[in-house]
Amino acid sequence: MLGVGPLGPLGPARAPVPVGGAPITGTDGRPERPAGPVRGEPPSTVPGAGGGPGGGTGAGRGRRASRGPRDLAEERQAWVVLATVEGVGERTLQGLIATHGSARRALWLAAGGRLGRRLAAEADRRAVPLAARTVAAIEQVARDPGAALASLRDSNVWTVTLLDPDYPARLDGLAGPPPVLFGQGDPAVLHAPAMVAIVGTRRASPAGRFEASRAAATLVAGGVVVVSGLAVGIDGAAHAASVEGGGTTVAVIGSGHRRPGPRAHAGLVRRILERGAVIGELPPMARATHGTYPRRNRLIAALADAVVVIEAPVRSGALITARLAMEQGVPVYAAAGIGTSPLAAGCRALLSECTARPFDGIAALSADLGWSGPAASRPTDPAAPAADEAVAGGPLGGPERDVAAILAGGPATFDDVLARTGGAPGEVAAVLTLLQLRGLVRSVGPLYLPAGRLLVEPP
Amino acid sequence: MLATLITAVVDGLEGALVRVEVDVAPGLPVTQIVGLPDAALSEARERVRGAIRNTGYAYPQGRVTVNLAPAGRRKHGAAYDVAIAVGIMVASGEVVASGGDWALLGELSLTGEIHPVAGVLPMVHTLRRAGARRVGVPAANAAEASLVDGIEVVPLAGLDDAARLVAGPRGRRAARARRAPPVAVSGVLRDTAASDAPLVREDARVDLVEVHGQAAARWALEIALAGGHSLLLVGPPGAGKTLLARTIPGLLPPLDEREALEVTVVASVAGLLGPGDGLRRARPFRAPHHTASYAALVGGGPRLAPGEVSLAHEGVLFLDELAEFDRDVLEALRQPLEEGSVVIARAQGAVRFPAEVQLVAAMNPCPCGYFGDLERPCTCRPGEPERYVRRVSGALLDRLDLRVEMPRIRPADLLLGPEPEGTAAVAPRIAEARVRASRRNDGRLNARLSGRETVERCRLSSDGRELLATVAARRSLSARGIHRVLRVARTIADLACRDVVTPGDLLAAADLRDPAAPETAGLAA
Repeated sequence: MLGVGPLGPLGPARAPVPVGGAPITGTDGRPERPAGPVRGEPPSTVPGAGGGPGGGTGAGRGRRASRGPRDLAEERQAWVVLATVEGVGERTLQGLIATHGSARRALWLAAGGRLGRRLAAEADRRAVPLAARTVAAIEQVARDPGAALASLRDSNVWTVTLLDPDYPARLDGLAGPPPVLFGQGDPAVLHAPAMVAIVGTRRASPAGRFEASRAAATLVAGGVVVVSGLAVGIDGAAHAASVEGGGTTVAVIGSGHRRPGPRAHAGLVRRILERGAVIGELPPMARATHGTYPRRNRLIAALADAVVVIEAPVRSGALITARLAMEQGVPVYAAAGIGTSPLAAGCRALLSECTARPFDGIAALSADLGWSGPAASRPTDPAAPAADEAVAGGPLGGPERDVAAILAGGPATFDDVLARTGGAPGEVAAVLTLLQLRGLVRSVGPLYLPAGRLLVEPP
Repeated sequence: MLATLITAVVDGLEGALVRVEVDVAPGLPVTQIVGLPDAALSEARERVRGAIRNTGYAYPQGRVTVNLAPAGRRKHGAAYDVAIAVGIMVASGEVVASGGDWALLGELSLTGEIHPVAGVLPMVHTLRRAGARRVGVPAANAAEASLVDGIEVVPLAGLDDAARLVAGPRGRRAARARRAPPVAVSGVLRDTAASDAPLVREDARVDLVEVHGQAAARWALEIALAGGHSLLLVGPPGAGKTLLARTIPGLLPPLDEREALEVTVVASVAGLLGPGDGLRRARPFRAPHHTASYAALVGGGPRLAPGEVSLAHEGVLFLDELAEFDRDVLEALRQPLEEGSVVIARAQGAVRFPAEVQLVAAMNPCPCGYFGDLERPCTCRPGEPERYVRRVSGALLDRLDLRVEMPRIRPADLLLGPEPEGTAAVAPRIAEARVRASRRNDGRLNARLSGRETVERCRLSSDGRELLATVAARRSLSARGIHRVLRVARTIADLACRDVVTPGDLLAAADLRDPAAPETAGLAA
């Protein structure tokens, strides 16, 4: 390969076609998307249709891929099969297609043990030969591609490829979009009209978690899909507040779906999947490594219309996401954090360098982005937020409203509440319990924090 | 010539009779003590010889054999010194015993002075039961010995006093010239144990007025002390956990007669009663350091001494830095906390020490101490705070009734906050609530109610029952958790002088967290 298309290296439009079939390319150098019926809906794989090139005739020399829907389905499937191989990422897949003409042909060669380690050179990179280990892994998968597809199905993971018409358009802006996305949950949420990412440190302070919760709750109440990375800390707080607010949230993970995020978030993942999605570019069995999280961050930045950074120390993954977002032209907002906390030093740096705007609620953000009113139809999930009405039902009584009003302003200790209401400790404790039973308040350590509706609007 | 006397030994909290038999026979001048003595007791030979000579009596020239019966019982300590010395003096004819139902206790110094010993109270009690009418005890132990009715206590300052007690008014005392008084090379020192102003006070009491802010913790402490509920204080360094705990002695009501005697017996056996100390009236407050060993906390050791958990009997055992305690040591606390007593089994039999304690513990929320602080970042790695709490055995956390989180204290609370209530205001409320509870519960505090009794004694309105069901469902409470909430609500009602537990009491009780519940439950955020 000598040249790379302007929008993505995957379509070798100007490359001399090597031996083997030409890849499916569009006029702009990107893989062409067929206009036919939507493919790739879960489960997106066509069972039993794997294997080498359709009707493979000998070496397939000089044979050009036909452009029928059947061939496209098979090529798509070959992409997925190759993407499940450990060690085959975006670059390797692209190299294989460029070298052998199509994924199908590469897979077919591999099945016969004739794949070879050589990859065609690209203009901007040295031709890196495949690792022997990778070749062996490809050959193993190629001999039984059905097993790889079945394993995907068993993990309840769907895939969407660059060949599919429903590949998220938001990722088009990326240099090097993942050729195959793996996901669980509802793939349609990736096409939501309004998506905002909330990112921050894993070592979040309660104040930071609260900021993240409030931002997420406000955004989902406005119909915005909240995107984050499923890590502990700010990410977790954003996802949790989104699902608790009855909203939709997308978790972009840096590992495979078998181990999505920290173990403590297993329950959170289930809640996210009720309405949202968990996506990533690694096959289900892949383990997270040092490099997978920064790569995950570029997807977060690309998916979002805006990135809100909450509590980021000077060196943190959240700042990487912010930088990637700025490179992609996605506006970045930063929450200043409390006082001089070192946890928010990165946010303050973003603000002082004027690369980020201060985050000041959804209204300002909507105006900046040109959204009018709620960005989408407000998600009214009858099951989610109404649960708190079950206890003692009805409107809040006087003392409860007073305490709720105090907490709507932010986290407070028992002493703070006591001092501001002037009640007896027992009465204040009773009111706080009542508000917790209603899901309006939660306690973390010595702090009482607003939750549920109270995050979004004062009582 | 043979002489036989009665003395006693401490075994657990009970005394046991020991007969001292002394035989003085012609032969080489050798003194031998038989009957399973330990090292301190074997050394009694030298103390006794010096004391007799320096008091002005003659030590026999022949072969002296001292037998301590029953021979099978292992004997330790120096409490037999006086009995052995007097036995030798009688056997050698230096003193003529007048007969009578007397017994002797005490340790000798070479000058012939008699020093206090541990466990006098149970020993005197045993001697009286055995029929003794008069008992000579070290003068410093006289106050505790006189707690036993029906026996005449004769305070002994020196060996001479003991001889006088034995010889009686008609007895003949050897008329030997008393030797010159000992030359005090380093000047005359008063015994430090006898000085009435110790350099370091055992428990520095703090008035509640000194605890600023921390309204939740003050409230929780009041409930805990009123109901006997065990309490866990969680907070960063400097939150005032230890300061708050130091207010406990002042907040607790005094012991009643029965409790006082038990507490005094334990203190006596542990050798904690000072000279002239009589009945202990104040509730014990013990705060062992977290490096405490198993034997120090639970009891045992070579001499079967009561541990801290027994020394805190009828009082409060305060474990500061709970997570720093050795896990096995904390595990060993479970049985005493559940049963109210410690049984230490030995090859020679088991000993039971009482341990009806209220546990108050304090710990940091995480190794760095700042987990959950609103502003100050916790520098622990993710997951480390959870692991830190898990270091404390779940079974022990399960035994704790209340958990209260204490925030870092802010300067404004110290300087600008209102003057908090002092001990003088809070202590009477606690005492009154305890009286109410114990009147209703046949003398027990609310924390000691069984599950069935709890439900019986906390009659709820239908509103209250419905509310409790909701709380239980929301918090996924176990039966134990429901009873815990009920007991605490009962105490809150007692503090408010109410016979009925209101829904408000239940809600307030539910705000005090269950120590065994994971901190991050419902906290995916």
